[in-house]
Amino acid sequence: MLNLSSFVQKAQQLLDPTQGLNLTDSDKNPSKASLFQSQFRLPDSQHPLYEITAELTIPPSNVTQGGKDQDRGFHYAGKLHLSEAYLCFSTTPSSFLQSASTSTSSAFTGQTHGGGPSGNGFTFPLSSIRRVERLHSQNFQFALAITTWNGISQDALKDNKDKKEVREQRITIQLAGTRVACERFCDGLKKGLRAAVGNVGKLKKVIGECYSEYLLRPEEQKSANPPDAGLGMIFRYPGDPKKLRDRAKMRLWAEYLRDNGRNVTLIRQPTFHKLIRVGLPNRLRGEIWELTSGSVYLRLENPTLYADTLAKHSGKESLAIDEIEKDLNRSLPEYPGFQSEEGIGRLRRVLTAYSWVNADVGYCQAMNIVVAALLIYMSEAQAFFLLSTLCDRLVPGYYSTTMYGTLLDQKVFESLVERTMPILWEHLVKCDVQLSVVSLPWFLSLYINSMPLVFAFRVLDVFFVEGPKVLFQVGLAILRINGEELLDASDDGAFISVLKNYFARLDESAHPKSENPKLRAVTRFQELMVVAFKEFSGITHSTITELRLKNKDAVLNNIESFAKRTAIRNLGPESKLLSTDELGAVYDRFYGVLYERQQRDLIIKQEEARRAKSNRISRIGQMVDEGNVEKGRVGLGPSTSLMDYDAFREFLAGIAKWAVSDSPTQSRRDTGSSNGGGFYNSFRKNESSMSPWGNGPEPADHEFLQRLFRKWDFDSSSALTLQNVVTGLARIKGKRDIMGTINYFFELHDDDGDGKVDREGILRMSEALLFLSRRGLEGTLDRATAPNGMMTEGMVTPGNEVPDQSVNERFLGSVSAFIRRCFEYADPDHPNNQNSQQPAQQQTTSHPDAFAIGDDDDDFDEENDDDLLAMDSPTASPRPAKRSEDTATSSLQPPSSLHLDPSTAPSSISNNDEDRRRRVSRQQSEKANIALDPNNPLHITLPTFRMVVLADELLEQFFESSFPCSFHLVEGISMSSGNSSNAGSSSYGVGGLGSTFSHMGFFGGGAGGANSQQGGAGAGRGLRGVLDNIVTDGMRVAAEVRRRMEEAQRELEKNALPGQHKPGGANRGGGDDEDDDEDDGGPVEGLSLGGNGNGSGGAGGSAAGMRSGGVRSSDRDLLTGADAEASDPTAEAQLQQGSGGSLGGGGEANVGGTAKVVGVEFDG
Amino acid sequence: MADTNAPKPSSSVKLVLLGEAAVGKSSLVLRFVNNDFQENKEPTIGAAFLTQKCNLPTRTIKFEIWDTAGQERFASLAPMYYRNAQAALVVYDLTKPTSLIKAKHWVAELQRQASPGIVIALVGNKLDLTSDSAGSAEVSGGGDDNAEDSGDARKISTDEAKAYAEEEGLLFFETSAKTGHNVTEVFTAIANAIPETSLKSARGPGASHAGVSRTEEQRVNLNGPRDLEAKEGCAC
Repeated sequence: MLNLSSFVQKAQQLLDPTQGLNLTDSDKNPSKASLFQSQFRLPDSQHPLYEITAELTIPPSNVTQGGKDQDRGFHYAGKLHLSEAYLCFSTTPSSFLQSASTSTSSAFTGQTHGGGPSGNGFTFPLSSIRRVERLHSQNFQFALAITTWNGISQDALKDNKDKKEVREQRITIQLAGTRVACERFCDGLKKGLRAAVGNVGKLKKVIGECYSEYLLRPEEQKSANPPDAGLGMIFRYPGDPKKLRDRAKMRLWAEYLRDNGRNVTLIRQPTFHKLIRVGLPNRLRGEIWELTSGSVYLRLENPTLYADTLAKHSGKESLAIDEIEKDLNRSLPEYPGFQSEEGIGRLRRVLTAYSWVNADVGYCQAMNIVVAALLIYMSEAQAFFLLSTLCDRLVPGYYSTTMYGTLLDQKVFESLVERTMPILWEHLVKCDVQLSVVSLPWFLSLYINSMPLVFAFRVLDVFFVEGPKVLFQVGLAILRINGEELLDASDDGAFISVLKNYFARLDESAHPKSENPKLRAVTRFQELMVVAFKEFSGITHSTITELRLKNKDAVLNNIESFAKRTAIRNLGPESKLLSTDELGAVYDRFYGVLYERQQRDLIIKQEEARRAKSNRISRIGQMVDEGNVEKGRVGLGPSTSLMDYDAFREFLAGIAKWAVSDSPTQSRRDTGSSNGGGFYNSFRKNESSMSPWGNGPEPADHEFLQRLFRKWDFDSSSALTLQNVVTGLARIKGKRDIMGTINYFFELHDDDGDGKVDREGILRMSEALLFLSRRGLEGTLDRATAPNGMMTEGMVTPGNEVPDQSVNERFLGSVSAFIRRCFEYADPDHPNNQNSQQPAQQQTTSHPDAFAIGDDDDDFDEENDDDLLAMDSPTASPRPAKRSEDTATSSLQPPSSLHLDPSTAPSSISNNDEDRRRRVSRQQSEKANIALDPNNPLHITLPTFRMVVLADELLEQFFESSFPCSFHLVEGISMSSGNSSNAGSSSYGVGGLGSTFSHMGFFGGGAGGANSQQGGAGAGRGLRGVLDNIVTDGMRVAAEVRRRMEEAQRELEKNALPGQHKPGGANRGGGDDEDDDEDDGGPVEGLSLGGNGNGSGGAGGSAAGMRSGGVRSSDRDLLTGADAEASDPTAEAQLQQGSGGSLGGGGEANVGGTAKVVGVEFDG
Repeated sequence: MADTNAPKPSSSVKLVLLGEAAVGKSSLVLRFVNNDFQENKEPTIGAAFLTQKCNLPTRTIKFEIWDTAGQERFASLAPMYYRNAQAALVVYDLTKPTSLIKAKHWVAELQRQASPGIVIALVGNKLDLTSDSAGSAEVSGGGDDNAEDSGDARKISTDEAKAYAEEEGLLFFETSAKTGHNVTEVFTAIANAIPETSLKSARGPGASHAGVSRTEEQRVNLNGPRDLEAKEGCAC
């Protein structure tokens, strides 16, 4: 999916590039911590704190207490590392530097000959160290003698301390470094040891479950119950123990463990790796797996996690559990243990527990086989942690929901085959045999169900020490050994049967006809191991990493396009209303928005974490979530597929102009549900951190969006699925049927679904119409009215201003008429409704100076508009000339005005305080206006609505074409798809202010509306500026309407509540804080205007900005009119009236009007 | 080809099984190939490959059967297996409604992404769990005449599935891998439905379009003829 990768890039641009959050970057340059963790197989909680060059001296075996000559024994030069809870030593050089190249930094797994991933050395939990002494050696500045709890942590042995068998494990380490470095290291060690004291209990519990503890106990102390070493103890281990020479191996291991420490205190020497290569003895297998994979350290971290998880989720159900149940009876069914309830029970518990701790992975077929295999050799808890290590570290992504890891490694394997066996590869290509068809199960089940179990376990023995490269080496060796036969096979079937046959004969002699008996004794499996690790020793961890990196994008893209194809196809019948292109685009946008949001969340979180920790170990913060960097990408599997309201807004802002906010703010908190209090000036904030909306335009928040969201959210889950979105869009855009659209719009506002929309609903509808049209109308408009469609901004040239202007002007008129007609034809719910007409007449007469707007002006029903003013506080309202900075903040007002009616608004979004004020205001206005009397309800029905819409040519066109066309599914809108950055969008907003400001100036001076055009032209030379002017002019007209209505309303209120009404102060209602903030921000805004205002003078920005700014500016008016009296409850009413005026048009010409209002109020 | 009558032409047909997990895909194959049934069959990892011949009056068809894993997350591997397939068995469990939905998805996927002209059979398995299977001895009855039943585990009526199959132009059967009811019939019907032309160009250039990436397509085109020869040379 192209889109996604571009989103990734976008997200990256927002970051400090050095952070390495970039996915390829983090893979190529793994962090120091992750390299460290990989090398020593430590949990993610460990970070390399100190490292120092050192020499390890291990006393020769059977040396007991110290005092022997230091030169004897084994010496290893290497590096000593200290993390929070571990002291590690390794002879394998490694560099944890961030800048290290792949080859050097991941070379730690490169060794195949005995070295193992972590070389020779040890990984001691600090809690396992009993004593550290500083030796006063002459040769070395610093020498430490480390004594571990090895073998003496058992209570049973405490009494026997005097006995000879109790040998302390004591090693010496000489630090080579400057005195300062050595001291620092020692200090760190001291601190760590102190902290580790508390963990000794955990350690005891963990090692108590290790078989080695039991094994090394003197015979007479062996208790009846050895630690659980898997189902094999009950049901026998696979294979013939004699043939496997299990007892001999056990003896060798016992000796090694006695000399070099057991479980966590084990020191790796070359013999260790050799012993692993020849195959582990049955009873120690689980423990060594646990140790070499590092899962024992996970267990040590949280020994009770397994039991706790099971207890916590006991009795719960999940999809994963259903899937697990299906497979329980079919996991290694040939092993007797899994024909019993005991074995099945263990398998069920381990898989279930893992599905709870890693719900993203849940359960994947093949895990049952792997876990079943583990359970033969280890306890449930051990298997549980080893499964975690497998899924997270060893074979990442293999079992994820998209199995990208599996697919990726198949690609890697194929390239390795191509590289190492070109002839075979060519043959495969020629015969069209798909290699992964054969090899995929090898990798996915770690060879467990491909080879006979005994051999698969041998592979696993090495795999856990040396990592995933082993899977590749073995796979390549299989092909190499069978090369000739495979070259004869010419189709999948033959290919598969060659290999099947081979696996079945792994125990046979590799050279049956050889004269040499030694050679004859070599089994095919031994041959396989030799080929794998000798011939393919060149395949190192870094080879794999490199190839994974190379193929990653292609694989992810494949998965994503498959997922997309499938998702789109399964969208159901309604999706057919949209074209495939459109569906594809919706899909991309849907997941694109979700992905981008996740990325931003992550980045913001990391940013916070880093800030929080900036003083302390600064690196930790940024490492924490590293693994999740790509989370959300479809191809990687689990990611959210639900869109919340904010994401929905962002989604819409990418496809519809009207969904873009007019004046971007920065803080997410503010845009969501804020009532406008406590926000900051947008310009100031802009500079600080990144925008919560990323590079895209900030989406608007409007009641209409909320309605749309709720409408699309069929199941009221407060989140949309792709299905919801597609269905929603299909219903608007798909039918291309005006009646359908009209019905839809009506339903959108019919809250209770009773086919009636009441007074408030009507006002909201007109609100929505204005909201949707504030950036101009799109689609096919009547020729006469819109000679040059405004569909593409590019087409609009200054020459077209006049006609376009008239469209918008007319549309505003149409909306006015719409309101009027709605009320005219409204079906009264109550006979008394008729009475409500009277006050309207009074008002009309009392304001002879009302301006005429449009052709519908004369019969404008003021009373109804008063309702609107009182009840709705839409986003536009009068504004004074001098308060241009209001626009910056005003966009915050709409959200607050959205939930006038607490019953319809989701309380989660609306602010309680706001609601209260609204209610107050409502009461006030109801008192003031008979029309609002609940006893006089009125409503319109769908037929009425339809009639009213169809009565107006422009509205008709709006529903027929403009509205559906305003969703640009495929091409998006320029604002989002363009490369306009953050800065761009903010300058756009500011630019909008610029032109607004200039208009204001004109009108403030009482100049006629005609000036607006010039003003606009001057302010915005760019297309946006042009658009601006157009809308502006329309708004001017509309504002006249509003002004008139306001006056009427105020007059009315004044009369109704003479005592209470304090002009102006009213508006301070809840806005004190905001005002202060605005005042601060004002000048800044002004300055920026000067800079930006000219060219790109903000598009609809200004238009909308004004509209929404209106609320605030009316607020302002009142403030200038009189001193605030914040507590006055009428304030709110006033505010709403002012803002309600926007319905009339949401313009700016109201300046004059508001000025007048102020005057009136002074008078009062 | 060893055991076919000399004059009968023989050709191989790639067949893929798709369907939700645990609907009995592998069991159907096992029944068809080995006439066997295992209660607890290991889940298929990736895919299993088996072959079986099917003798028709005029020719012999050698089925190369790709039995795929059913778990949802394995779906993204499926294109690898149905690539170039000439026939597909889309299986659902007639006691489990969701499995039919999944089957429909697979049908849609195949119709758009698989080789054009792929023969698809919709198979409702586990007929033995329904009451109308009592007389599983009746072999040739097909699923068609099963009326809606009550009081058994059946959740998907024959009519419903059949109507869908007709609409999409699919072969339709209800089977029981456990009893063997209708299993061979499915494969025979598929063998009969494979057009002669598609057999001739089996796995040659004509049969490999959809689901193949461009390079692969080129590759096939380049090597098509040789590939075909090889095919005929060793229908082992």
